[in-house]
Amino acid sequence: MRADVEHVVSIFGLDQDSARMLLRDYNWNSERLIEKYMDNPTEVQIKAGLQNPKGAPSSVTPIAQPTTTRRSTRKSTAPISPVATKFVCPICCDDEPPATLSLQCGHQFCSNCWAQYLEGKVREEGECTIRCMENGCSLLVPDSFIKQHGGTPVYDRFEELVMRHYVAHIAHLKFCPAPGCTDTVSCRAAATKSALETMVPAVTCSQGHTFCFGCNVDSDHRPVLCRIARFWLKKCQDDSETANWIKTNTKECTKCQSTIEKNGGCNHMTCKKCKHEFCWVCMGPWVDHGTQWYSCNRYDDKAAIDARDAQSKSRISLERYLHYYNRWANHEQSARLSADLFAKTEKKMEEMQLTTELTWIEVQFAKKAVEEVLRCRTTLKWTYAMAYYLEKSNAKELFEDNQRDLEKAVEDLSELLESPIEPETIPDLRSKMTNKTVYVQKRNEIMLEDTANGFKEGRWTWNETVTL
Amino acid sequence: MAGICRVRLAEERKAWRKDHPFGFYARPVKAADGSLNLMEWEVGIPGKASTLWENGLYKMVMTFPDEYPSKPPKCKFTPPLFHPNVYPSGTVCLSILDEEKAWKPGITIKQILLGIQDLLNDPNINDPAQSDAYTMFKNDKNAYDRRIRQQAKENIPK
Repeated sequence: MRADVEHVVSIFGLDQDSARMLLRDYNWNSERLIEKYMDNPTEVQIKAGLQNPKGAPSSVTPIAQPTTTRRSTRKSTAPISPVATKFVCPICCDDEPPATLSLQCGHQFCSNCWAQYLEGKVREEGECTIRCMENGCSLLVPDSFIKQHGGTPVYDRFEELVMRHYVAHIAHLKFCPAPGCTDTVSCRAAATKSALETMVPAVTCSQGHTFCFGCNVDSDHRPVLCRIARFWLKKCQDDSETANWIKTNTKECTKCQSTIEKNGGCNHMTCKKCKHEFCWVCMGPWVDHGTQWYSCNRYDDKAAIDARDAQSKSRISLERYLHYYNRWANHEQSARLSADLFAKTEKKMEEMQLTTELTWIEVQFAKKAVEEVLRCRTTLKWTYAMAYYLEKSNAKELFEDNQRDLEKAVEDLSELLESPIEPETIPDLRSKMTNKTVYVQKRNEIMLEDTANGFKEGRWTWNETVTL
Repeated sequence: MAGICRVRLAEERKAWRKDHPFGFYARPVKAADGSLNLMEWEVGIPGKASTLWENGLYKMVMTFPDEYPSKPPKCKFTPPLFHPNVYPSGTVCLSILDEEKAWKPGITIKQILLGIQDLLNDPNINDPAQSDAYTMFKNDKNAYDRRIRQQAKENIPK
């Protein structure tokens, strides 16, 4: 932010305040500002509230000010001036105010009213564009004025608001979303929308919080693209539980595919929607049943087989989804239980320190293993979302192989973590676990790298649901 | 803050008595014991000459919050007015009366009233507050004009 301000300062020879105010008005797009400023500096300044349009009516006679050049007037924002004779503040109507202040526009108010106004704007409304208190005067209150007359807490808050404004308008900057974290992260590669089609910009702030730069879907959804991750989450929200119930309790009308629940009565079904009449048992059209009502012993009837095929097809797609979903949910669940695992592991580590001669440093391997398991579970979880949307191909098979390897390794490591410790097996366990951790870490890296490369090469083919 | 509020309102009252635009009136309401309640004013806004609103005098109540002049007064037509920017309750929707928008502590009562007078014949269609007047204004301008003229007639002061 400072660099941008300096840049504008150096080009136009403006002071810091003006440059900051202009940049804010242009949402920190310095290129556009510079271009427009070159064309018509006065207009830009009026628009940003740096000066009032010429001949604007001002109800108060401006106090005497050096008005030789535009620049110098802006700078001098009339510091505390001696109380004019018989001045009455138009806001609080105090006729003996301690001091009066005015911006370049010359609208004078007492310092108390200014302080109160600034505080109200900054603290209550969270506004970083504050204008003169006079009706119709659009002159902006410069930063230095706020600093001087608003008090330190107000100015600090104001600076924070400006910072937020800046981060919100710069595409390659983002605040860390972790609660209580005030870090900002810069990621130039992910600043454009199209970049998100070929990469997943997972970033880590200096406090160690990992999040996706491209979306606010989930903390870290590698290796899946933001768009696909969003798709998947939406689908899960819509479907999962309901889908299970539908699967077990309903069938679809063979003609219009509406879902029908049979809650009693005979097998002669009439679809409420399309009035198609069919048999619940064999799903064939009812007319074929002739007079054999209420019992269906037909099996090899052509129409019925077709109908059952169509039905099973839709059930298969559901089953396919549930296959992926259950695995996805399973990993999520496991990851959620990680808090417990952490606590358990910590206890174990203490135990180890007591029962053996291992030092604190030497038992850290267990903690590392837990962290790695957690990371991999997150990756694994999202690989299932990815696999769901991948079209069957050799590439997908390789992807699933990688997935399987990683999963196997993670499960092994988890098991090791759960295993009981006995003093005599600890050295063995330790080396095993350390090895496994390294291996798992490597598999995870391979998985992520390979998928990322796949995006770049365009190796992955999606099924029709996501090819938009 | 109530201190500032009352001092300012007393000054506003003084300024108004000294000079106010033609046809307007504005005075604090009298409490039952005969004392003035500065926090609530009865005002009347005349329709501008040679507009549909001509001859009408529209009554309004202004209620000042304790935080005035940091916060704007609430302006409410009694009875509610048929106008696209007046809520069904009678409250006026105007940017200078919105704390988050264009309200500034420096705005005087005179400026508010003149602002509302301008609004009468020049509604802000992008910010409707009641659907009746808004839809009529949009769809059947003739009917709207008739209705406004009728309303002006009903509001001729006796």
